[in-house]
Amino acid sequence: MWKLWYVARHEYARNVFKKSFILALLSVPLLIGVNIGLIAFMVSLDNNNAPVGYVDHAGLLSDPIPAPVAPSEGAIQFIPFQTEDEARDALEAKSLQAYYIVSPDYFETSRIDLLYLKEPGENATQQFYDFIQINVLADQPPEIALRAAEGSNVTVRAPDGSREFSGAPTLGAILPVLLSVAFIFLLLMSSGYLMQAVVDEKENRTMEVLITSLSASRLISGKVLGIVAIGLTQLVAWILVGALAVFIGGEVFGIEWFQNPGLDWGPILTVVAIAIPSYVLACGLMVAVGSTVGQAQEGQQIGALFFMLFMIPLYAIMVIGETPNATPSVVLTLLPFTSLMTVGFRSLFSVVPLWQVAASVAIQTACAAGALWLAGRAFRLGMLRYGQRLRFSEIFARARATTTGRSLS
Amino acid sequence: MYSAQVSHIAKSFGKTQAVADVSFAVERGEIFGLLGPNGSGKTTTLRVMLDVFKPERGTVSILGGPMSEEKKERIGYMPEERGLYQDMPLERCLVYLATLKGVPAGEARGHLAGYLERFDLAAHKGKKVKELSKGMQQKAQIINTILHRPELVVIDEPFTALDPINTQLVKDLMKELRDQGATIIMSTHQMRQVEELCDRILLIDDGRDVLYGHLGEIRRQYSGHAVLVRLAGELPTVAGVEQVLPHNNAAKLMLAEGTTPQDVLRALMAQDVILEKFEIAVPTLDEIFIRVVEEGDA
Repeated sequence: MWKLWYVARHEYARNVFKKSFILALLSVPLLIGVNIGLIAFMVSLDNNNAPVGYVDHAGLLSDPIPAPVAPSEGAIQFIPFQTEDEARDALEAKSLQAYYIVSPDYFETSRIDLLYLKEPGENATQQFYDFIQINVLADQPPEIALRAAEGSNVTVRAPDGSREFSGAPTLGAILPVLLSVAFIFLLLMSSGYLMQAVVDEKENRTMEVLITSLSASRLISGKVLGIVAIGLTQLVAWILVGALAVFIGGEVFGIEWFQNPGLDWGPILTVVAIAIPSYVLACGLMVAVGSTVGQAQEGQQIGALFFMLFMIPLYAIMVIGETPNATPSVVLTLLPFTSLMTVGFRSLFSVVPLWQVAASVAIQTACAAGALWLAGRAFRLGMLRYGQRLRFSEIFARARATTTGRSLS
Repeated sequence: MYSAQVSHIAKSFGKTQAVADVSFAVERGEIFGLLGPNGSGKTTTLRVMLDVFKPERGTVSILGGPMSEEKKERIGYMPEERGLYQDMPLERCLVYLATLKGVPAGEARGHLAGYLERFDLAAHKGKKVKELSKGMQQKAQIINTILHRPELVVIDEPFTALDPINTQLVKDLMKELRDQGATIIMSTHQMRQVEELCDRILLIDDGRDVLYGHLGEIRRQYSGHAVLVRLAGELPTVAGVEQVLPHNNAAKLMLAEGTTPQDVLRALMAQDVILEKFEIAVPTLDEIFIRVVEEGDA
């Protein structure tokens, strides 16, 4: 049994302590971080918190009521000017980013002019819009004015009533999608490592030495265990980075979306339940591929095909979104390869019925068992085919030979 | 007591019959030679013996019974396809493979230091395997085969890529292992090494065992077809001699079918020659090998 651990440790160490692994480990959160950073940077370029002036010819803002502003946004100071010349002087002196002129016939025409030297920040125009809106409603009771300024509180509800969320989707609502995508990356990366591990043994010609030291099943189990540990390392690292991002976003930057993630464990557990047999299925197939190919490059090409199979739901996202419980979505939920991402997407719009989850897990498990059987046969037959391909027909031909009573190598 | 017993094994790959019928037994503590021309089935026989392939027919008993995980730790195997992790430092690679043979890493490192010193590889232990020369890799492979102190050593072509000095080193090591009680099965084409090292041999041709037994007995069995003669004068014509070949300071008389060395000796004495040397020519293993294989082909 301990030989299995030695193999697992060997696989883990030879991959994890490589520069390429550390790069791959950091690249995903780094890429997400860089993208978020870039978006934040672009947004910050569009924002400007410098004061904004206004000249009110309509008497709308003679006794101004401030509009509510989200704490994370930062309220912009609105400075009143008696004349347009005073406002222009202030603008030219760069004490304002822009100023508005509320026309005398505003109540009839809604006309407001904006003057600036450089286009003002989007936050400034948005806050001035809210400022005007709340002041137009000044003669209304304060709670109605505030309600009007805050806009509608929309609740998005699935037609079958199975799922609903208010306003924009919460972090908890999109978590199953993120999780399924993360699992697919993990699964493809891990199965790629596993295929490489088998191909490496063939390329190094170490297979014969190994299988005269331990059984083929222990060798493969050890490899799978090592690779799963690598996958878990990646997953834990990503979860930690994600949790850190949520914490920093919520506690440091006060982003509401991160403060109330609204976790729903049902869809999360559904994705995990499907991810486990999918993982075994992918690993089994990659061992089979690694055993049949002669060179690593050949294996990588076949690996790319599997990647495309897992990505099919991405092309059907519109169909899944519009009709999450229609036949195409159900079929994609039940099929191997496509189920993981489909369930992730469907969870965003609906609750996947329990029977479909159970059927999908059962189908995935059956396929995973088949993949392991195939992997075992391919490994046994292909392990000593140095630099030569093993045809899948040979595997099945030999399997048929077994069932018809002929002896098997 | 046998270390390995192989009885009527057969193995084919598709339509190719790699081994048709091979049987042999290897006694504990002997060096056993497995010989045969290219493609005769030697490597497949070894693989079947070591449970890499399951035979279609026949039985194998290794270290007293069928192969098991525990027995794998008592066997050292150097396959025809040499294999070490090319991207790993030599020491780490050999220690890892030894741990799979049941040797704790610390102990393996201790054993390894001595072998690396002996094989002149100590200075290279930190280098990646791919940075070593072919000969060095071959030596590393031999160390890998014996590092866990196996009871049964199975080596396919041990002398490939070795210079004469290292060949001698490996031969000494094999004798030493035998003296310590290990059994060695060696598959090779190098007849000189077989003659020097092996107690018994098996010759395989076309997947069948064609010659099996003690080396001395086999040579005796194949002797009698030639005699070495040295005379004080000219060699006269002798009935029953097909061919006369020069052989060092003597002549090698190849005898016709039905002619015995005694017939030749009688004929020479009858001609009143002064005989300085008369010896039954013992064939080399090379000659026996060629003869058996050619007879098989015919």
